[in-house]
Amino acid sequence: MKFLNKLSLLFGRRRFHDDLDEEMAFHRAQAERDFVAEGMSPEEARYAAMRQFGNGTRIKERSRELIGFRAETVLHDLRYALRQLVSSPGFTLVILLTLALAIGANTAIFSVINGVLLKRLPYEQPDRLMRIFLSGTDYPKFPLNPFDFRDYRTRSRSFESMAAFNRGDVQLSGSGEPVHLNGFGITSGYFHVLGLHPQLGREFDRNAEIPGNGLEIIISDRLWRTRFGADPNIIGRKITVNMQPFTVIGVMPAGTVHPGNVYHALPYGESVDVWWPFSFAGDPNRRGSHFIEGIARLKDNVTAAQAASDLNTIMNQISHEHSNGDTGWKVLVIPLYNEVVGQSRQMLLVLLGAVVIVLLIACANAANLLLARASSRQREIAVRVAMGAPRMRVIRQLMTESLLISFLGGGLGLATAFSGVKVLVSLLPSDFPRAQDIHVSAPVLAFTILITVVTGILFGLAPAFQAAGADPREGLQKGGRATTGSRRQRRLRDALVVAEVSLACVLLIGAGLMLRSFLNQLRLDPGFQRAQVLTANLSLPHVKYAKEEQVERFYNQLADNLSALPGVEYAGVGSDLPWTGYDENAGGFTVEGKKPPAGQEFHGRYHMATPSYFSALGIPLVAGRFFSDADNNTAPNVIIINRVMAERYWPGENVIGKRMSFSDGPKTDKDWITVVGVVGNVKDQPNSPETHNAFWFPVLQAAWTSDMSVVISTRMQPRLLADSLRNEVHRLDPNLAIADVQVIDQIVDSSVSTPRFAFALVGLFAGLAIVLAGIGTYGVISYSVSQRTPELGIRMALGAVRSDVMRLVLSHAARLAGLGTALGLVAAFALSRLLKSLIFDVSPADPATFASVAGIVILVALLAGYVPALRATATDPMNALRAE
Amino acid sequence: MAKKPDLLPGTLDMLILKTLTRGALHGYGIALSIKRLSDDVLTVEEGSLYPALQRLLLQNWVKAEWKMTDTNRRARFYTLTAAGRKQLGVELSQFEQMIAAIGRVLSDVQEA
Repeated sequence: MKFLNKLSLLFGRRRFHDDLDEEMAFHRAQAERDFVAEGMSPEEARYAAMRQFGNGTRIKERSRELIGFRAETVLHDLRYALRQLVSSPGFTLVILLTLALAIGANTAIFSVINGVLLKRLPYEQPDRLMRIFLSGTDYPKFPLNPFDFRDYRTRSRSFESMAAFNRGDVQLSGSGEPVHLNGFGITSGYFHVLGLHPQLGREFDRNAEIPGNGLEIIISDRLWRTRFGADPNIIGRKITVNMQPFTVIGVMPAGTVHPGNVYHALPYGESVDVWWPFSFAGDPNRRGSHFIEGIARLKDNVTAAQAASDLNTIMNQISHEHSNGDTGWKVLVIPLYNEVVGQSRQMLLVLLGAVVIVLLIACANAANLLLARASSRQREIAVRVAMGAPRMRVIRQLMTESLLISFLGGGLGLATAFSGVKVLVSLLPSDFPRAQDIHVSAPVLAFTILITVVTGILFGLAPAFQAAGADPREGLQKGGRATTGSRRQRRLRDALVVAEVSLACVLLIGAGLMLRSFLNQLRLDPGFQRAQVLTANLSLPHVKYAKEEQVERFYNQLADNLSALPGVEYAGVGSDLPWTGYDENAGGFTVEGKKPPAGQEFHGRYHMATPSYFSALGIPLVAGRFFSDADNNTAPNVIIINRVMAERYWPGENVIGKRMSFSDGPKTDKDWITVVGVVGNVKDQPNSPETHNAFWFPVLQAAWTSDMSVVISTRMQPRLLADSLRNEVHRLDPNLAIADVQVIDQIVDSSVSTPRFAFALVGLFAGLAIVLAGIGTYGVISYSVSQRTPELGIRMALGAVRSDVMRLVLSHAARLAGLGTALGLVAAFALSRLLKSLIFDVSPADPATFASVAGIVILVALLAGYVPALRATATDPMNALRAE
Repeated sequence: MAKKPDLLPGTLDMLILKTLTRGALHGYGIALSIKRLSDDVLTVEEGSLYPALQRLLLQNWVKAEWKMTDTNRRARFYTLTAAGRKQLGVELSQFEQMIAAIGRVLSDVQEA
């Protein structure tokens, strides 16, 4: 009823107002008449009636508010706000651009955070999924022994289900060119643990774990569609994998996401196309080799810590049963989420912090611009208040304006973010987790709307209350040419600029530290040649190359043939490439005449290499010699070690000619291997804290693996050799797939992609911040100059020279910048520790960075003050005084 | 000049409704009537009167009509509706309850 009444009143709005006007006029007329009747003169009566009636506008406003819908006043306010914005395009442009950039950057970074950190992993109850590793002093995260795993699986009571997997890529042949596919060996129940189900067929059962039962395979949806035409009868079909006939027993659905692994790592989300059954081959009593990784689902009400202690108890039992004594290993239970998100979390939170700072600066800037404008609108607002507009009404009007600005800015920002996210994803380091999950999605939109509203309120509050709190008399008396503005107002504006400067300072220091860290990593001597090397990976199918000699012969021949190509300097073959996280470890070998350090065993990463491998990579020879073609099966066994290992196990000795052995209880000379060379150190990863012990066997004596990497150094453009490489490989075996043909620059490049990404973004935000802070400073100084024109005029009339005026203005800018910088340095000092894990070889309190940032910030502030200062000196004293 | 007592909050609507029980009146008439009946003790500010009338209109407790006055001027006359009469009853009983309550408190204070 009330609603209908309102509605009819709303449609008859004009009539309502006319009625009210007429009614009030009638009222005044009646009162006037009665006053006259009481004996007043007509003149007096009219004034008395008017006085008695009071403020007609006020009455009308209140009556109108009663009948008006909120929406109507909002629309009215919006129209008014829009007119205000259009009337000062310069102001509008600056403020909108600022907000668009800040909100856009926040939206883009939040898209990344949402996709990487907040979005659920695509498994059933992902928070119950745990990864299981071993952890020891030298290897903080180490794979499991299969038989150990089997014991955990039988004895542990903490897990609902448990499975293990290990990387084993395969070659698929048959129809078309042979392809190299990412593959994993998995135990039964692997997909059950993840909560995934095949779309066709089934997953492996325990039977498949028995050695010899293993010619079954599960394929991905992608492989099923691209290679087998989505054949609905694929189950039971035989396909040729590693030159053997495997029976397809299952097809996983699209969206079967690889959970990521550590040993021969394939990052989370990479495409895996085949899963073959892992079988427990070998002697269950020998538990020295570790190569599978555990994944398990916790029972309800069991914590990761409880599960870990459960597994450690089992681990101790196993050690006793197999009389291994204390191995020094501990079982590690890590939530899958932590494992996937890992290091990126820290970086993303830092980036979030950076964009939030940018947003705060943008807010401060907008508030400042609005404040400056509000004081020039003082007269307008004073008039409205004097005419009876309630203060709330004025506040609402001003808040509508700032919200309109923030929504326009937010809209532009969202548009920026859509393209920004694409750019951001393309810049992400290649090993960044969950990049494919990053989109501008519904939660991102909600976030954008939220920050837009908060921003609008934040920067609108100060000017709105300032304006509404002002005394209308003051505003009117000053006649619109408000002079100095109230002291409170000036303080508020100065404080905002100081805040902007200090926030910008914090960001610049963050960016500076990251830049130094990035440069450090670039300057780092990698221990190998950075350019002019072509690399590729090859895999020889076991069926065709079953004997070690076949593998040795193939690679040795390939290296020789490649070396003979025109333009090739050196060509070699090795088990791996530098900086690619190669992680084959050997432990427990014997070093002649030495005892391992207490509680440890001799250990090191093992590799294989042909004679020219080191030369092709530019890894320097420190002592002794490289391998030669003479180091073959008939010659004495030889080995090359790295410098770290030489210094650790033979400190201060000449290592060449020393012997080590991998046999249990070496007796004859054949059991011993002689060190013939020492090469320079190369870390696993550019940012690895230290170099591991490492040693190389000659390919001709010990080709333990058939997966090798080819390295070719040349004086030409390395890419030009790619076709020759392919030809040479296919001349030896036309059925081989050649994977990952790349120039070594790419490896070097991708290894610094994370620090570069972090620096680029923080740097971008810091740049934005300092520009904004500059604009803020400029705005405040130039406003205060325009306000002080008469004062400056008087000073100049009294004999002040231009340099005095210049000094006066600049010192204001310097005061603000100085205070802001000081605060910024203190804040940065407190905050930069958060960067510790992200920066390399730089102290978080790096004095050079702090000093140069302080210099830059003050310089920018002075520059921002210089332009208005110049304008101030150009003041004509006569004009300035006349204007008053 | 002694300050005139303010109306008790919330009583203006009741006074207007009560005034209108005696027949249709225009805004000025309502103000005048309240002033006279209270022997000049209660003055209704115009600033409150007209918004209050709009409020009552909105609640459908009164309705308004343009008519001619005795002196042949156009004026807006308000009349009580059935809902308004009911509302007056409600407000009166609430008011009496309150006055009684206040009275009890005051007499208690005097006795003590």
